[in-house]
Amino acid sequence: MAYDYQAVHALDGTIGAVPGQRANHLAVHRATAIAVVLAAPGHGAEAAGILVADGAFEARFCGPGEWLVLSEVHAPETLVAELSVRLGAFAFVVDQSHGRVALTLSGPDAARILANGIAVDLHPGAFAVGRAATMLCNHLSVNLARTGVDRFDLVVMRSFAEAFVADLKVMARSHDLSVDFATR
Amino acid sequence: MASLISCPHCGVRPKEEFSIRGDATPVRPAPMASDEAWNDYVHVRANPRGRIREHWQHVAGCRRWLVVERDNFTHDVFSVTDAAAGRGGAQ
Repeated sequence: MAYDYQAVHALDGTIGAVPGQRANHLAVHRATAIAVVLAAPGHGAEAAGILVADGAFEARFCGPGEWLVLSEVHAPETLVAELSVRLGAFAFVVDQSHGRVALTLSGPDAARILANGIAVDLHPGAFAVGRAATMLCNHLSVNLARTGVDRFDLVVMRSFAEAFVADLKVMARSHDLSVDFATR
Repeated sequence: MASLISCPHCGVRPKEEFSIRGDATPVRPAPMASDEAWNDYVHVRANPRGRIREHWQHVAGCRRWLVVERDNFTHDVFSVTDAAAGRGGAQ
């Protein structure tokens, strides 16, 4: 028997959008290509070199020898194949495009909003643009990347996405925040 | 309880990100060691006051096992190292 599978975003119908483009904006990305890359023992440097060399991949640090790789260029269906070819025996690649949800928080109060749930120093001097790390936000583990002084990318596990967006709304209660799916 | 741990991979983090496994000092006996040696290794623990070495896992961060050397009386943290690095492990 044949089944028709439908790809449904984890936040479809539950996002509770706060419309408009206010001072701070949380954009939820609909289809981001995401993969987890784990370097083979002893090959961390080679894998890192390959990931950095290609501008089509955006590698976010998770742990030693482990990265979340996002791509705007590659489709969710092709990212893993592309990475496997490039990395060869240096690393293991697992598709996470439907396992994680990517969000972008931007605006002048972005760091302040995040500071309501994250205990890591987010001053640009301590957590510079381009840095990424996995950290605890309230009770959820999220991968936070600083893509600009007032711009952060967050990647959460799919099943936590709804709770995480709800948390962010509470964290931003004293700031002006709009929430919606990214138009792109 | 020491409240700030500097993970060698992630930087300074609150203790809520970690889970504590226990004493890092016991050394695993050989597979055919005496029952007494295994009983000591599995069940018997000292409960010292002062400087101790413990296994902590950075569950909400890099998920690596760390060895934290700290004082359970003054809350000072002396060193945090990757558990694999201590044994010359990979990565």
